[in-house]
Amino acid sequence: MHLLFEFPHHLTVEHFIAKLSNKYQPYLDSQHESHVTFYDSFDWRLYSAGISCEITQAKNELSLTLIELALNQGIASEAIASVPVFVNDIASESLQLTLAPILEMRALMPLGTITLQRFRLNILNDDQKIVVRVVIDESPSLPNRLSVLPVKGYDKACEHLIETLISHPINLTPIHQPLLPAALQLIGRKANDYSSKLNVDLAPELRADIACKYLYSHLLNAMKANEQGVIAEIDSEFLHDFRVAVRRTRAGLSQLKGVLPEDINARYIEFFSWLGQITGPTRDLDVHLLNFEHYKNSLPEAIREDINPLHDFLRAKQKKAQQDLAKKLRSDRYLNTLADWEAFLKASPDKNPVEANAQLNIKELADRRIWKMFIRAIKEGQLITRHSDAEELHELRKTGKKLRYLMEFFQSLYPESQIKHLIKNLKSLQEVLGDFQDYAVQESNLRLFSDEMINLNTPANTFLAMGVLIQELDTRKYHARRHFTARFAEFASTENLQAFADLFSDNKPKRKSL
Amino acid sequence: MKVIAVYSIKGGVGKTSSAVNLAHMAAIGGHKTLVWDLDPQGASSYYFRIKPKIKGGSKDLIAGKRELDDLIKGTDYANLDLLPADFSFRNLDLVLDASKKPTRQLKKRLKPLADEYDFIFLDCPPNISLLSEAVFEAADLLLSPIIPTTLSLRTLDQLSDFVHEHELHDLNVVPFFSMVDRRKKMHRDIMVSLVTKYPNILTTSVPYASDIERMGLERMPLGGFTKNSPSLKAYQQLWQEVLLRLE
Repeated sequence: MHLLFEFPHHLTVEHFIAKLSNKYQPYLDSQHESHVTFYDSFDWRLYSAGISCEITQAKNELSLTLIELALNQGIASEAIASVPVFVNDIASESLQLTLAPILEMRALMPLGTITLQRFRLNILNDDQKIVVRVVIDESPSLPNRLSVLPVKGYDKACEHLIETLISHPINLTPIHQPLLPAALQLIGRKANDYSSKLNVDLAPELRADIACKYLYSHLLNAMKANEQGVIAEIDSEFLHDFRVAVRRTRAGLSQLKGVLPEDINARYIEFFSWLGQITGPTRDLDVHLLNFEHYKNSLPEAIREDINPLHDFLRAKQKKAQQDLAKKLRSDRYLNTLADWEAFLKASPDKNPVEANAQLNIKELADRRIWKMFIRAIKEGQLITRHSDAEELHELRKTGKKLRYLMEFFQSLYPESQIKHLIKNLKSLQEVLGDFQDYAVQESNLRLFSDEMINLNTPANTFLAMGVLIQELDTRKYHARRHFTARFAEFASTENLQAFADLFSDNKPKRKSL
Repeated sequence: MKVIAVYSIKGGVGKTSSAVNLAHMAAIGGHKTLVWDLDPQGASSYYFRIKPKIKGGSKDLIAGKRELDDLIKGTDYANLDLLPADFSFRNLDLVLDASKKPTRQLKKRLKPLADEYDFIFLDCPPNISLLSEAVFEAADLLLSPIIPTTLSLRTLDQLSDFVHEHELHDLNVVPFFSMVDRRKKMHRDIMVSLVTKYPNILTTSVPYASDIERMGLERMPLGGFTKNSPSLKAYQQLWQEVLLRLE
């Protein structure tokens, strides 16, 4: 049964009701101005999952509706007390269950609002009982839309009404499109206008310095897109994405030397290192807070609640770190240097750059750098034994990260399926190295926090719980360490070496030569 | 899903108005609620303006030939549905008697609705019969309205004896005072003495009031046409007490 219809252009709601009254007893239950605000995370997670989230305010009532975009079908609709920011702010369990895996830690942000006149009509039978409900949304800028809401057990009445709606003289048109796309157009927003994924399309013959500037401009845009969200602390992922763009830029500058002028390179490596440093403490604390539930659940049930003072401590510390960071992101040093960087990137490129690699085409440079970094990763990995200390694994992780950034920068230069496959192999190695490093850092941070918490009258049981947690992290670190050998063996397998050589090296060296 | 049977051996004690109003309270509270009108007179169907008729009548229903879900009608109120009565329900006892394990039939037929409803109210006909036994088997709580008169007291004693004789120890019988006229000394006296005898009785009592009678004219639950009457408040309080008893 089709339940959504559009009015012909000339038909007003008043005329519609008059025409319907010839056959039915439509009863106008209510008529309100309704403000429909569309919500999504900054990175369009709901839209990407095919969901439209609409919060409607009519009189003093708020309701949240989720619509499956492909089918234009309601998933859920519930009254809410206030506009939620995070999934946890939503009281309804079923809404939480639907939204939590999609939104995770991301905040809901308004995309824009449209104002409608919403008419609710009831169609009554001879006993004055409602047998079908109808909602009409009248908008000055969109065609009027009518939804039929069937009442359970009155299918025939519903079918009969629909037949009347689509026939002469009413002539409504059945439609499938949800409100969101039309509303976005009206609001002036484009879906998926931000993504945390690096997606830069480069032509292989592009001059290296021009290609790099293009790449850095893209990363600068990502930083600028997230900057205000970091300062306003909308959610933790603004800082995460901001830091990724900073690290990628710094890695580019240090890995792609001899492309931009030496003094420029040196100046901005220092600047982006500084940005990496000042954003670090807040991110570390964000990670602890994001992991907190996980921490808690890893403890024996009897002592779970004992760890709560750690949350308060982390929250207070994070708040302070975030305020310091926000201040630095408003400082002259940050604003001026970033403006200079932007001006440099926007300036037209030198016709005859003198730097050694500037005139190479980008594909050549990409091949060379990726291959070199790959060989370095293999060599570093081969030196790691069961007895190697944590530092060596950390070094390999850093090399792997540089390699991954390079591959992501230049992925458009290579056949998609091949490069994606190699990035995936690398990711799998990076995962264990990352876990190992993260557990080590979290473990040592927890020790430092406990030193600070001693002066805060923290209950003894909290320290006990933190001790158990450190033990737990240590066990996980140990497991990650054990997985390393197998993962590295896969990464350094003949097939993977050959695949890397095929894609990035002209020499196609054999394993022995490594 | 919790099944609440509104039951009394005696007629005219306010069963239907209690079932309809309490179900409406549950629905307003956001709970998916169903009223099953088991009384062939179809009074609760009437209050919701729904025709007391179901396809295939009681035979098809108990034989499991029709899913209950296909017979349910949406009321004019959000979250509130009704399974209408049918005149053939006057023979429900005979139909049940002809089936296997008759007292378990009702519970069995309700089971598939567990995912759909939070509360199911059974509006029972006044008698003690095979159908009543099937209701006792299905109900999580047996809510029994009592008018504070000597005659009503007898019916509560009868019910109590029946529960003992049939060893229905799991049955949670919860009486409450209905159609109370506080101007009558007899009502007040009986209420005092009955609370001593049946400490399980709910503290909220529903008054004898003209707006409850008006439900028949309006064909709506109280909340559909009054916003602030003492009877409405009494039902709201009663519902809160019932919820506590269900915990």
